[in-house]
Amino acid sequence: MRTLLSFFLLLSTIVANAQNAAPSWLESTLYGSGKINVVVGVVAIIILGIGIWLWRMDRRISNLERKS
Amino acid sequence: MKNWWKFLGIGLLLLASIAALRIPLAPALVHVSPDRIAPGTTDITITGYNTAFTSGALVKLVNEEQQVCATSVSVLDASHLTARFEVPAGMKANLTDVSVDDLIYTGALFTEGLGAGITSAVCPETYPAPASFTFPNRSILYESIRNLHFHVPMWFTMIVLMGISVFQSIKVLGNNSLDNDLAAEMAARIGLVFCVLGLITGALWARATWGAFWTNDVKLNGAAVTGLIYVAYLVLRGSVQDAHKRARLAAIYNIFAFMLLVLFLFVVPRLNAIDSLHPGNGGNSGFNDLDMDNSLRSIFYPAVLGWILVGCWMYDLRVRAARLANNLDR
Amino acid sequence: MKVSALCSAVWFSLRGVCSTNGEGGPPTFVPVKPGEIAALLRLEVALDLRQRAAWAGMLLYVVSAVYVCYLAVKGGLGLATWNALFWIILLFAAFNALTRSFQREDAGRQLYLYTLVDPRSVILARAIYNAASMVVLSLLSLLVYSLLLGTEVLENADLLQFVLAVVLGGIGFAAVLTLISAIAARAGNGIGLMAILGFPLVLPLLLTVMRASKLALDGVAWSITSTYFGGLVLLDVITITLAWILFPYLWRD
Repeated sequence: MRTLLSFFLLLSTIVANAQNAAPSWLESTLYGSGKINVVVGVVAIIILGIGIWLWRMDRRISNLERKS
Repeated sequence: MKNWWKFLGIGLLLLASIAALRIPLAPALVHVSPDRIAPGTTDITITGYNTAFTSGALVKLVNEEQQVCATSVSVLDASHLTARFEVPAGMKANLTDVSVDDLIYTGALFTEGLGAGITSAVCPETYPAPASFTFPNRSILYESIRNLHFHVPMWFTMIVLMGISVFQSIKVLGNNSLDNDLAAEMAARIGLVFCVLGLITGALWARATWGAFWTNDVKLNGAAVTGLIYVAYLVLRGSVQDAHKRARLAAIYNIFAFMLLVLFLFVVPRLNAIDSLHPGNGGNSGFNDLDMDNSLRSIFYPAVLGWILVGCWMYDLRVRAARLANNLDR
Repeated sequence: MKVSALCSAVWFSLRGVCSTNGEGGPPTFVPVKPGEIAALLRLEVALDLRQRAAWAGMLLYVVSAVYVCYLAVKGGLGLATWNALFWIILLFAAFNALTRSFQREDAGRQLYLYTLVDPRSVILARAIYNAASMVVLSLLSLLVYSLLLGTEVLENADLLQFVLAVVLGGIGFAAVLTLISAIAARAGNGIGLMAILGFPLVLPLLLTVMRASKLALDGVAWSITSTYFGGLVLLDVITITLAWILFPYLWRD
């Protein structure tokens, strides 16, 4: 519980400091090269999401095979 | 050939995705340095994006339709050039546009030494570049405009799947069929997958465009409410044991919730028309001509159709697997 | 084929609304039965009078919620915060009050009612009664709220508009939550389920009514706010109509 609390405190200080610090790794990645990395990220998220769905579907069908 | 629509879906998705990633952005001027001018001799370095500057580039300043031609232009490479101007005193507006050939950077330069206006020079005529198939180049979006073809179809697919779910729920009320109930549940589940994908991709895009993962925007609220409604729908299903009772309760909630959701997504935003960051004038779910030009549109609609067909395929698989599981349990 | 299937499904759902009159004549609209509704309303009032503790409980809830807010902020609220806090208190009061709507009667009495009256009369009577009690509750909350948290925000307000927003909001909450309360009661998992099911559905209404009442507090002219009030009336009417269509399917087992 205490670790959790201190983690959130740490997180909030990081977030609070992020405003006036130099651009973070996230900003420099997202804003660089005409923001093409945003597209890369979005496509990656969609492929990962569909992949996770396929993985769960695979497990579901394995269960069915075991039952039959 | 009863599976034609699956091929169509994958084909459209493939073509639309390749096009969405490969079609270049239109050339544009993105940066000038320095960003203010005062009367006197000034060198200005102009940076372009996807431009092809040549040594014959025609560079001028435009202030309230009064022009100042560059006295000399040195092109560094295809996207950088430096132009020298004899800036006169007494320009009218405090923002001056910069123009290279047919490209214009509006309001690029803060202007000092204002006055009643200058006598406009007549710079050499520039001819528009031959039209080519490009995506529009918008400031703050730049390349991320391509996300239109990946992020937005998630929402279209979700709404279609929720619509299928409600359609099946209406059937449940008519015929008390457990099979229709199963279909309604699975459509809602696949719809939620697309909802989650839409939320995460939207958050990333919002961070890069508006600077925050979440903004208080009618569209985001609509998305959040949709997610909450269908999670609640699944919770309701989970808390009723008897299958027929569950089917009917879930169907009633589904229809009620979907109708209110439609109101929320399409009527309420029109009332709060002023405060949306999304294009389409305050939560109008359509895109008008200003927001989306034909090059975007011609890729966007195939992408939407492709994703909808793939979503329906996922739904089809899920329903068939669930039916099989039911038959095995029996 | 798809289109005809869709039509038949819509027909299924509307079959309850329209019914043919005997000899295959044109479909007629099933009349709302005012006599039955009036009788049911009298029943509701009689039941509520017998359970005065429930009303006292709701009032106590509102008063203590407002008092907690008063202690927490000690006056000095901005207009936007005043408005938001008021609607949050009202939202939770509505959940609290309307959860009882279908929880309080056992299966036996429901069966008895079922043999006597049309289910649509039941839902309409409940919705009307709940709307009326929500209006009373909202106006009382407004009174307590403005007594404790100060009336300075009301100085520039168009009071008539604000009261209208409160009334329409109360009716809307009642309309949405009556059907949800029925569903939750049927699912046999009362209060927790009610909050989960109801919250996303009252959000459209809540956002619209908060905006309308904010404009009323700013003293904006009718010509601008009338769109919002029109939207609220539309939301209320559609919600009640949906409840009226859907409730019979919930009612009979």
